Amino acid sequence: MAQENTFICIGCPLGCEVTLTINKKGDVVGFANNKCKEGEKYVLEEYRNPVRTLTATVLTQSSSQPLLAVRTNKPILKTMLVQSMTVLARARVKAPVKMGDVIVANLLDTGADVVASSNLSS
Amino acid sequence: MKLQDVDVAVIGAGPAGMAAAIKAREAGAERVVIMERAEELGGLLHQCVHNGFGLLYFNQDLTGPEYGHRFIEKVMDTGVKPLLETMVVRLTEDRQIGAVNAREGYITFKPKSIVLAMGCRERSRGALDIPGTRPAGVLTAGTAQRYVNVEGFVPGKKIVILGSGDIGMIMARRLTLEGAQVEAVVEMLPYIGGLIRNEVQCLHDFEIPLFLEHTVTRIHGEDRVRAVTIARVDGRRNPVAGTEKTIACDTLLLSVGLIPENELSVMAGIQLDPVTGGALVDEMRQTTVSGVFAGGNVLHVHDLVDNVSWESELAGESAARFALEGKPQKRGEISIKAGTNIRYIVPQTISGQRDATLYMRVTEPEEMVRIKVGDILTKGVRAVKPSEMLKIELPAETLKKLKEETKEIVVDCEKRGGK
Repeated sequence: MAQENTFICIGCPLGCEVTLTINKKGDVVGFANNKCKEGEKYVLEEYRNPVRTLTATVLTQSSSQPLLAVRTNKPILKTMLVQSMTVLARARVKAPVKMGDVIVANLLDTGADVVASSNLSS
Repeated sequence: MKLQDVDVAVIGAGPAGMAAAIKAREAGAERVVIMERAEELGGLLHQCVHNGFGLLYFNQDLTGPEYGHRFIEKVMDTGVKPLLETMVVRLTEDRQIGAVNAREGYITFKPKSIVLAMGCRERSRGALDIPGTRPAGVLTAGTAQRYVNVEGFVPGKKIVILGSGDIGMIMARRLTLEGAQVEAVVEMLPYIGGLIRNEVQCLHDFEIPLFLEHTVTRIHGEDRVRAVTIARVDGRRNPVAGTEKTIACDTLLLSVGLIPENELSVMAGIQLDPVTGGALVDEMRQTTVSGVFAGGNVLHVHDLVDNVSWESELAGESAARFALEGKPQKRGEISIKAGTNIRYIVPQTISGQRDATLYMRVTEPEEMVRIKVGDILTKGVRAVKPSEMLKIELPAETLKKLKEETKEIVVDCEKRGGK
């Protein structure tokens, strides 16, 4: 039996609901309902390797700025997002921190670092 | 810098004000001040910790603070003078500014030109008339964003979000990641109010239920929100009896639209567009009061900050030119009218002599359309939605096609291949 997966393409405001058909061996058999070729590229990426940039905050030890904004320096698998938050919940940072400083290196072995996306001055 | 000698005064230091001030300096204005009621530059970018900023302007995927940082540094590098913790409380038709701060009390001065960059504020519960009690736990999405991303606390455990604007969807994801349960996002219209990427990455990724063509009809709870009742709406957006459903929750977030903050503009006698809620401007972004310009969300609500920056650069450049030339620029007098399926267009008038950038929104979603700007330009667009702003460039070269006596240009968004 072939397996069907549906994705909403985010390439343009159309938001096509594209159906991707995969055969038993895991090969792509076909696309349906997409109105352009770009949609196929996006859907294939979303099927094989759906990644997102994680953005969040971590606690600081500063009373005037209790939180520091952080992000992953590259996108990680979307299935890792929730688990990653438990790592960030334990992080505490001390001033000074500069934008781009690594807060958590190699987050859950994803190969991505969590870096500061704002400054924390002492 | 003496305030009496200021060339360009920019009101507001969010993305719009910073871009306008930088551009005004670059365009040759010597003395540029930026007036900001908060204690730092950057406006709301600090609390927008999510990414998606700068994809067009910098060709990079930045977070709000990162996007803001680049402009803050440039404000400092270009020698713009920031006047922080200073709130402008008065603006007159002859460009007199009155402001207050804790250091000097009331200050007043008259710059050569002014850029309005006050941004917008959120529509609140009072504007919606939702029946029910008045418990704690009803707040706007932007307020919740500040609590979660800046102050450091999560405002509730079980959350319902009314409205599917971008801030609402982004907060749905953010609150979920912080451990709250988002029970529902409720949207009155048959389509989401924000960007498609936010529907996918904020709602679908976390399996957050989306109720289209629904609204909140009642808020329950005495001290704290206990539940909300939602119901389906009909074609006229009235709730349909018998379709009610009660959802237990402790917090209701509102993401139901933004209102340009134009109290100062009104005080100065600037005419507003009833549709955008912002000033009527020409292609230089000059308002109906000579020497006063406007850009960003104070002019009309944008969906992408990149366009806020670009538009405000136009306003800043025009303000610098006005300050340097020291004589009034003739306002554009050819009116740009919204035709078929166009809700509004900014600017509302153009001179026909200079390049013009038109920003517009459609009334209804449509696929495979053609945007027609009078008979001088047509552009095919694959899909249009009210939530995604359209940008059309009209170079001076194209405008030469206009007939001498042209008084009005109608812009239409028509279905392709129709008729």
